Amino acid sequence: MEGSLLTLLVFLPLMGAAGCVVMPKEMARVIALLTTLVTFLVSLWLIPPFLAGGDAAQAVNIFGSSYGETLHFVQRIPWITGDSFSIKYFVGIDGLSMPFVVLTTLVSLFACAASWNCHTWKVTKNLKAFFVLFLMLETGMIGTFVSLDFFLFYIFWEVMLLPMYFLIGVWGGPRKEYAAIKFFLFTLAGSVLMLVAMIAMFFYSADAVAGGVPSGYQDGVTITQGTFDMIELATNSAIQENFAAATFMGVLPFASTMFIFMFIGFAVKLPLVPVHTWLPDAHVEAPTPISMILAGVLLKMGGYGFLRLCYPIFPTGGHFWASTLAALGVISILYGALCAMAQTDFKKLVAYSSISHMGYVMLGIAVMTHTGVQGAMYQMIAHGISSPMCFFLVGVIYDRAHHREINRFGGLWLTMPKYGTMATIGFFASLGLPGLCGFIGEIYVLLGTFEARHTFEWAVPAAILAAFGVIFTAGYVLWLIQRVYLGPEKEEYAGYPEASGREMAILVPFAALCVAYGVLPKHLLFDYVNGTLNHIVDTMQSSGAITALAAGS
Amino acid sequence: MSNYETYLTLGVAIQLASFFLLMLFGPRLGKPWAGWVAVAAMASACGLATITLVGWMGEIENGTAAALTAAAAHNQFHWADIGKMPVNIGVKLDSLTVIMYFMVTFIATWIFVFSVGYMAGHSDEVAGKSKFHRFFCYLSLFAFSMLGLVISSNLLFLFIFWELVGLCSYLLIGFYFDKKFASDAAMKAFITNRVGDFGFIFGLMMVFFFLGTLDLDGAARVFADQFHSQAGIFGREYDINLLGWHVSSVSGTTLATMMGIGLFCGAMGKSAQFPLQVWLPDAMAGPTPVSALIHAATMVAAGVYLVARVFRLLTPEAQMFIAAVGCITLTAMALIAIVQTDIKKCLAYSTLSQLGYMVFAMGCGAWIAALFHLMTHAFFKAMMFLGSGQVIEGCHHEQDMRKMGGLMRKMPVTGFTFLIGVLAISGFGIPKTDIGLGGFFSKDEILAVAWDRAYMWDEPIEDHGGHHADIASASAFQLVSFSPDQEHGDHGGGHDEGRDTHTESAGEHGDAHAAHGPVIEQPHGKAAIMAGVSALPRWMFWCALITAYVTPFYMMRCWWLTFMGKPRDQHVHDHAHESPMMWFPLVVLAVFTFVCSYAIFRPLIADAAVVASDAVMVVGLDGVAVPSNDPVARSEAAGAFIHLHEAHDFLAYAVGGSWLISFIVAFLIYRNGLEVGAKLKSAFGPIATLLERKYYFDEIYGFFLVMGCRAVAQVCRAFDTYFVDMLANLSAKITERFAAFSGRAVDAYVVDGVFNGIAATSMDVSDVFRSPQTGRIRNYVLFATGGAAIVILVLLFIDGSSGPGVVLGASGGG
Repeated sequence: MEGSLLTLLVFLPLMGAAGCVVMPKEMARVIALLTTLVTFLVSLWLIPPFLAGGDAAQAVNIFGSSYGETLHFVQRIPWITGDSFSIKYFVGIDGLSMPFVVLTTLVSLFACAASWNCHTWKVTKNLKAFFVLFLMLETGMIGTFVSLDFFLFYIFWEVMLLPMYFLIGVWGGPRKEYAAIKFFLFTLAGSVLMLVAMIAMFFYSADAVAGGVPSGYQDGVTITQGTFDMIELATNSAIQENFAAATFMGVLPFASTMFIFMFIGFAVKLPLVPVHTWLPDAHVEAPTPISMILAGVLLKMGGYGFLRLCYPIFPTGGHFWASTLAALGVISILYGALCAMAQTDFKKLVAYSSISHMGYVMLGIAVMTHTGVQGAMYQMIAHGISSPMCFFLVGVIYDRAHHREINRFGGLWLTMPKYGTMATIGFFASLGLPGLCGFIGEIYVLLGTFEARHTFEWAVPAAILAAFGVIFTAGYVLWLIQRVYLGPEKEEYAGYPEASGREMAILVPFAALCVAYGVLPKHLLFDYVNGTLNHIVDTMQSSGAITALAAGS
Repeated sequence: MSNYETYLTLGVAIQLASFFLLMLFGPRLGKPWAGWVAVAAMASACGLATITLVGWMGEIENGTAAALTAAAAHNQFHWADIGKMPVNIGVKLDSLTVIMYFMVTFIATWIFVFSVGYMAGHSDEVAGKSKFHRFFCYLSLFAFSMLGLVISSNLLFLFIFWELVGLCSYLLIGFYFDKKFASDAAMKAFITNRVGDFGFIFGLMMVFFFLGTLDLDGAARVFADQFHSQAGIFGREYDINLLGWHVSSVSGTTLATMMGIGLFCGAMGKSAQFPLQVWLPDAMAGPTPVSALIHAATMVAAGVYLVARVFRLLTPEAQMFIAAVGCITLTAMALIAIVQTDIKKCLAYSTLSQLGYMVFAMGCGAWIAALFHLMTHAFFKAMMFLGSGQVIEGCHHEQDMRKMGGLMRKMPVTGFTFLIGVLAISGFGIPKTDIGLGGFFSKDEILAVAWDRAYMWDEPIEDHGGHHADIASASAFQLVSFSPDQEHGDHGGGHDEGRDTHTESAGEHGDAHAAHGPVIEQPHGKAAIMAGVSALPRWMFWCALITAYVTPFYMMRCWWLTFMGKPRDQHVHDHAHESPMMWFPLVVLAVFTFVCSYAIFRPLIADAAVVASDAVMVVGLDGVAVPSNDPVARSEAAGAFIHLHEAHDFLAYAVGGSWLISFIVAFLIYRNGLEVGAKLKSAFGPIATLLERKYYFDEIYGFFLVMGCRAVAQVCRAFDTYFVDMLANLSAKITERFAAFSGRAVDAYVVDGVFNGIAATSMDVSDVFRSPQTGRIRNYVLFATGGAAIVILVLLFIDGSSGPGVVLGASGGG
């Protein structure tokens, strides 16, 4: 039973989609909401096995003593089998993926509730198809997070792409086609390199295990063929040795080349400057619930990919590229924040703020310290809570005003006091105010960057530059709040109704989560993830020139 | 968990409960009940604080206080791990906490009561809508954060509450958010504080990674440990390389100084020290009770409190930096106060100047005097702000002193209590006696230490015993013995059982010999550090002394223009009235200004100094750090200031006479209203303008920082919109052309097909998509997902036995 729970979770939304297809048009949103709700409830079953992770003795039982031993809910079924290869349907979760799965189902639930008023949108044609695609998207997202076979991962990755393309391209704003194609092509371009890396890794692993070697993490299993198993690739010493020694196309070091191939695919998703340019367009054109999904879940796949594929499999690559990646992270933080400051479109501002926040994720991972990676992980989850909330806040006002010009707003806190209060919480969480969720990730990343000072001589300057982001962020968020929510009430907006019950039902849980994640980081996240993250970071640090960093030394 | 911790924690929790209550049910409670909820919450916290204070004084008498402090350090909650290091939080229970907690709750209670009266009129209206409950909701949140800040035992948590009080300050300054100037001021306050926090975060980082803990006591102990054994941060020289700017062989002491200055940056923001002082005068845009509570008595003093808490981490150089910043602030801001015409702005600049005194005192090493001044100042400045609130409310929101005058008859209580405040801040007292108000004693102590450091200081350490013998018993230094092997009672980075054994006053060393033989063999501690503490530059002392003459002048001017003379605006004068709800708190605070200061605060702070000087690198120079369990020594400590005065006759008279001389000058100038003042102003033309424009700080920051930042932001935006996007579009165009070409020229392979398919779809997505059930969608999904499979299968087929080299052009190397 435990084994098939993830499969159930992955295909539940797809069944819901099937339901939407056969049921009458009017029922589509009801079925979609029920499906996302059930999916969310089912996903809560994933948490109990990780519950005692805060207890040191229990943590060993839960997270094992190495990266490969931490998996739960594993299901492994041969899928496509040939003479020299075997592609498996292999799903499972560990501390790294579990929070993302729950986040996905949660954000999907709220996004579905946010699409409840879809009949009032500008584009109202074929809303049944909207919910079908929405649920297919959820299947893709969950599938991506639970796949442990690279091939399966890649399929889900692509499955996710298409519904998203149509959701933006059909139900989007005025420039929806442009935005949808841009989104699609950027992601596809990234995934092409990932495909090359996947294939190459398969063949190189086949070379390494020729004649049969014991599995890196499964007891009593012998590997005789090349593999797509992401855990095997990271833990099997024979494969690792081959990866470290081999060259690609004769001249390039295999590890760092493959690292960067996969990295580009994920960097597009994250998104990292300079491949971020699809994001503001996609966000601005996408309908509100799709923006919530995009910001809340899709961006996290970049960070998840780094931690699942790039770093554990090619730690030397991580070290090789560390300075470049950290630089890109810092640039994203500052450039994103500065661009956000100059925006006049409400949604575009929030989109650029996402770029800035994701820069912290990149920086935290690039420095390869425990603190940094924990911070990156926390930043992703926190951003997964605060940014859908911010996009929904934009959506609430867009539904009323039908424009998003920041400078035309004003005094909304007077017009809509409850909504104004929620907006304050959401944007302050995004600002990184201590006591709200955004703070923990940022401070951990900054601390983690500083911690890496013995390994990288650029670590302290990087930390200093990144810390400037704290000031810029305060600048653009407060200026935004001033222009939109403060000031005298405007005639234009005076008659606007207060946030409805449905809207508050979405905003209040988000706000509560913002506070909860700001107050209890250990009990709400770190206990479940640190076990796995520490294994990953240990792998990262033990390779190459990195030595374990002892604090205070 | 001792009772005291429970009381203190409970008091904090009550505020949070009140906050949630008001947030959820505030509108239903309405006016004035929402206000009374907040008052009740605050008053119960004050009750708990009083019980704690009384009990704590008893504990000190009994000599059990130190044990309780040590016990409190063990009750910690494992909040999170940073990397693999635990962060534990708990209640810091010592005399400083207890007294600070009492001060905050007591003043806040009366200000809350005042607020109910102040907000009863129309002051609670934002754009015509009553926001009564919201105001008290914010006040409760502030009370929660401020009390949390006071009891935090961990620097990270101190920082979290630190930011939360900043948030409350932001919300309350911008309470009248329909006014542009209010929301501007709120934003300015928050962002200026963020600039300070930037440094604070760096201080935190260095503390965490060099000292290995964020626990206040733990960090201090490790710091002292590292200093004595010349290990850790002091263990080696560092190379600093900041993107090309390279400095080699930086000593550990320099790094420690940077750490101290980093932490102090936070205090510079919160306590509005030069050059981050710009936000505080603007913060007066908030309702007057807020100015009294947050921007005079408590939050702005949090910076000084922080310096007091991290005092043990400061090197002599960092202290010198702090002294210089404080000195510049206290002088420059006092001068601005002379030309202010807005009654609240005048008080705001005087607050800045007094905060400068406190910070300066910290920098001089006058730990006790600084905190003592913080306490006395909190009472009388809160009272004066409430008085100004009474005036403003009574005069229908008129804040311009030029339109006031002669209000004494209409507002006698306000006028008299304000006068008491003026006397207190001016340092009213009679030299060489015990007669005087709180401000007299506290300012005297600060100046006495400054004098000592500036004129009586002999650089070589050996000399200090002889030369300072007369004051050594009262004011000076003790040898704090330190034993590294006792310092490792460190459980999880925060606990210290043996703290009280480390603090032997100089006089008790005889006993200590027997008890801790090895301790005495290396009497470094303070003595070793003394060699590093240099004399204070004399200009600093003179700045502080001259400002002691400026203060009474501008305060008397303020009082006289408001309450005395002839009414200058009949309309305002006719309206003036005072209401009991508002003057009662004034009277209470006035009484406390009279009685509280010396008897209660000074000894308790002196006791708190024991903690500050244990195992310390640099001890408060005025701190007679006496073990808590020695009542005799403690009473001696209470009399310390008298000895100081005897030691410096000149200083006693110079300081003691300041209020009289300045009062007379102010009286002569403003006796008949504004005419003489106006003439003087025109005589001092450019200087007066410079002061009125606040040294042009707002203009300079506005131009270089705000405009500069926005300009850079615009450049980034343009770059992003035109250049980065252009590249993306260009490559798309090229691909499209190429695809079109290859589509015609070459037979369709898989990748081509995908690209063309996309291109075609994009032409008219909506048309294609009109009927998703027809199979087009399925085709696409199949296409994309199957594509990958096909590629692999094709490659595998080609692969056969020749290995991957054929496909990928490289050897597997296996």
